[in-house]
Amino acid sequence: MIGAWISAHGQACLRAFKRMGASPAASIISTLVIGIAIMLPLGLYSLFSNVTAAASRLNTEPNVNVYLQVAAKDDDALQTEKRLKAIANVAEVKFVPREVALAEMKRLASMADLLNGLDTNPLPHAFTLRPRATDEASLEQMQKELLALPKVDAVVMDFEWAKKLKRFATFAERLVMLLGAVLALAVVFVTGNTIRLQILTQKDEIEVSRLIGATKRFVRRPFLYFGALQGALAGGVAVAAMAALIWWAGQEVHALTISYGSDFQLQYLNAAQIASIIGIGAFLGWLGAYLSVSLYLRSARTV
Amino acid sequence: MITFSNTVKRYPNGFEALKGVTLSIAKGEMVAITGHSGAGKSTLLKLAAGIEAASKGSVLVNNQNLAEIKETGLGVLRRNLGLVFQDHKLLFDRNAFENVALPLSIAQFPRADIGKRVRAALDKVGLLDREKAHPITLSGGEQQRLCIARAIVNRPAILIADEPTGHLDQSYGATILDLFKSFNQVGVTVLLSTHDELNLARLKCRRIHLEMGRVAT
Ligand SMILES: Nc1ncnc2c1ncn2[C@@H]1O[C@H](COP(=O)(O)OP(=O)(O)OP(=O)(O)O)[C@@H](O)[C@H]1O
Ligand SMILES: [Mg+2]
Repeated sequence: MIGAWISAHGQACLRAFKRMGASPAASIISTLVIGIAIMLPLGLYSLFSNVTAAASRLNTEPNVNVYLQVAAKDDDALQTEKRLKAIANVAEVKFVPREVALAEMKRLASMADLLNGLDTNPLPHAFTLRPRATDEASLEQMQKELLALPKVDAVVMDFEWAKKLKRFATFAERLVMLLGAVLALAVVFVTGNTIRLQILTQKDEIEVSRLIGATKRFVRRPFLYFGALQGALAGGVAVAAMAALIWWAGQEVHALTISYGSDFQLQYLNAAQIASIIGIGAFLGWLGAYLSVSLYLRSARTV
Repeated sequence: MITFSNTVKRYPNGFEALKGVTLSIAKGEMVAITGHSGAGKSTLLKLAAGIEAASKGSVLVNNQNLAEIKETGLGVLRRNLGLVFQDHKLLFDRNAFENVALPLSIAQFPRADIGKRVRAALDKVGLLDREKAHPITLSGGEQQRLCIARAIVNRPAILIADEPTGHLDQSYGATILDLFKSFNQVGVTVLLSTHDELNLARLKCRRIHLEMGRVAT
């Protein structure tokens, strides 16, 4: 019983391979088309997730900069430091005196000439804070409290940037999902059409087989194998193309990040991802084949 | 083995090809359906093979009501029938051997058995030396015999043949009918349709005559 099942499926699988070999050019082209369709959303996904990963590495710790009014004296700064330490969400306070800030700025070559020409220090005293809670609500609350302090001129938080990043990531994710859904449909249609053409060349065989006792399942089976096989191959093509793309982009990014002193690396696909891409390809191909054959069997109405 | 009771077949265009047929064919019997062109012979055979469904009344094969069995059941039934079609329905992209092997691969016979059985069937119809030939290169009579080989290759208990002598001359038709007679003599139930009055007279089997969709008495 099991043996018969295996041999039935083995034969169907063999026939699928034969069909593929019978028209190699057509098989290669449709496999490539499907492979590219799978690769597109994959490539975008990988691009976006790498960008988000890179960006979030740049500022894992949100910093809060508090600038005092330019007129604020050293004494005001001392007062403010005490008040800052009293705020619940502040974990750490670092004072940046205006002189230090100026010296720092002068170190930047391009600014030196400009600043040397000034006889007064245009920079205010400043503090850099590390917040305890870094969620949006706590930070917003903290911003309000900071602005309410006397002598405080401005509060700059880089969580604005984190927020934008997050919004971008959500948007990118939706875009990828949408594109993925559209292209998944395309894969189903492309496979369906390939199978439809195959069916047309095998109409007689299908009709006769049905008349002498082949079930719909039997007729469908080799086509399903073909669809799944082609989809899996296309998934393999997509994986290979992605690897090539990542390798190529990796070279570029590496050159770029070295100049920024970062050791950021692009991520290759891992085994689980590769398996699921090939699996999804196979499933979509199978689905396209299933729909195509079912549609045909219904229209042919051979009882 | 095969029972029609008050069976009506109305085609989708509204034409009634069978207008209430009642008949019964016993196990091991050989029955010839005769009648003019358009009398409903092919329709009757298609109903017996479950290729068309009855509009009213019932068709029983092996005590199974064909209206009640599902797709897979119908598959099982068909694999146990031998069918010879009026228009042969041979596959022209395969050779004789592969055509005859088709029912066996559908029934998932082991590969080793397939060769033996196919050659035995081709031998019975005298086509053993043409196993590599493509149907297009065979004469009408040879195509007919090839079709018969395909019908008997799975050793069915029932053979249903629609005008197996239709395209053949008198003497060749006699050879074919004798072939069916020999299957019948080893216990196969045979149901065939024919125009061939002369040969039938010689064959001495039961006849059912159809006239405009009814059994004539
Ligand atoms: N699919 C169909 N749709 C509509 N009418 C049909 C269909 N098949 C057969 N008929 C009609 O039913 C009648 C009986 O057809 P059938 O093929 O059973 O005749 P027959 O006795 O086999 O004739 P012949 O000796 O020419 O083969 C004919 O008038 C035919 O036109
Ligand atoms: Mg007919």
